Amino acid sequence: MTADGTVLLLPFAPRATTARRTPKRPMDEAKFEAFYRKTAGSIWSYIFRMTGDAAAADDLLQKTFFRFLRAQPEIANDDHLRHYVFKTATNLVFDHFREGKRDREHAIEALPSAEYHPERRELRHDMMRVFAELKPQERALLWLAHVEGCSHDEIADAVGVRSKSVRVILFRARKHLAELLTRKGLAPEPRHG
Amino acid sequence: MADIERDPMEAQVDAWMQQFARLDDRPRSLPDASTLWVRATLLQSVVTAERANRPITNAQIGAYLVVAAGWAALLMWKWNALATWLRGFTPTHIILGAAGAEAATSLSLTFVLILIVLASVTVMLAFHTILAEE
Repeated sequence: MTADGTVLLLPFAPRATTARRTPKRPMDEAKFEAFYRKTAGSIWSYIFRMTGDAAAADDLLQKTFFRFLRAQPEIANDDHLRHYVFKTATNLVFDHFREGKRDREHAIEALPSAEYHPERRELRHDMMRVFAELKPQERALLWLAHVEGCSHDEIADAVGVRSKSVRVILFRARKHLAELLTRKGLAPEPRHG
Repeated sequence: MADIERDPMEAQVDAWMQQFARLDDRPRSLPDASTLWVRATLLQSVVTAERANRPITNAQIGAYLVVAAGWAALLMWKWNALATWLRGFTPTHIILGAAGAEAATSLSLTFVLILIVLASVTVMLAFHTILAEE
């Protein structure tokens, strides 16, 4: 529910909801633009970190929002809409991996370069390489948990696993990443307090 | 999020993930929202149009099959007569026919009528296909 008490819906009137008692107001272009501005950057970063391919990230970002507009999810607030978009993006990224469209080594070599900051480029390259060594599911879990701050239930919904399994898979993913970081000498000093 | 209660591994991973997330690697501007909106609207129109056209397309496919089956049945039914008639197109047979040496093979009126109807339907179907595509 938005501040003015309307439920956000997407532009194409869903057949399933036409018989419902509460009249729904579809999301108009202005609302979509506002939501897109708030969300698209994070989604792009997520997809890019998952695939390591900027072109794929552009493509999947557009597909994500196309699906979002077509699906017309009946969701009460922006946080839930955001979660819905992350879930859609996750599904598309997993499909992308399944279809074998990626060429991670090539993609990482072709990362957009920070021409004037070679040391940053090297750091990014190392970080992307480490992250690429994780399984796609591990990458998704770590990103959603640590960067997006999603709850276990939200992660379970986005990744398509049981909520109870998230804790275990997340623990294994952290362990895997920590081992990789230690092995490659990239482990940062943990923050305390 | 209370870092104090976290185990060192989790804190280490969290620190690394935060650093990783802060990397600015977006090379160019993202696709424009209004462009996406318009494209999604167009895409939806195309999907709706395809859905609306589906019965017509199915009927068209059915018509192709009926016409093809009609031609096949006709050819099988009168194949011998047709073969004789076609053989009559050789120069020898034309000359013999003109001299009255060979009796003309006659095809029944029903057959000729069916042939005309089938040919007309085929032509109409072809026109419909061409016009529909245009």
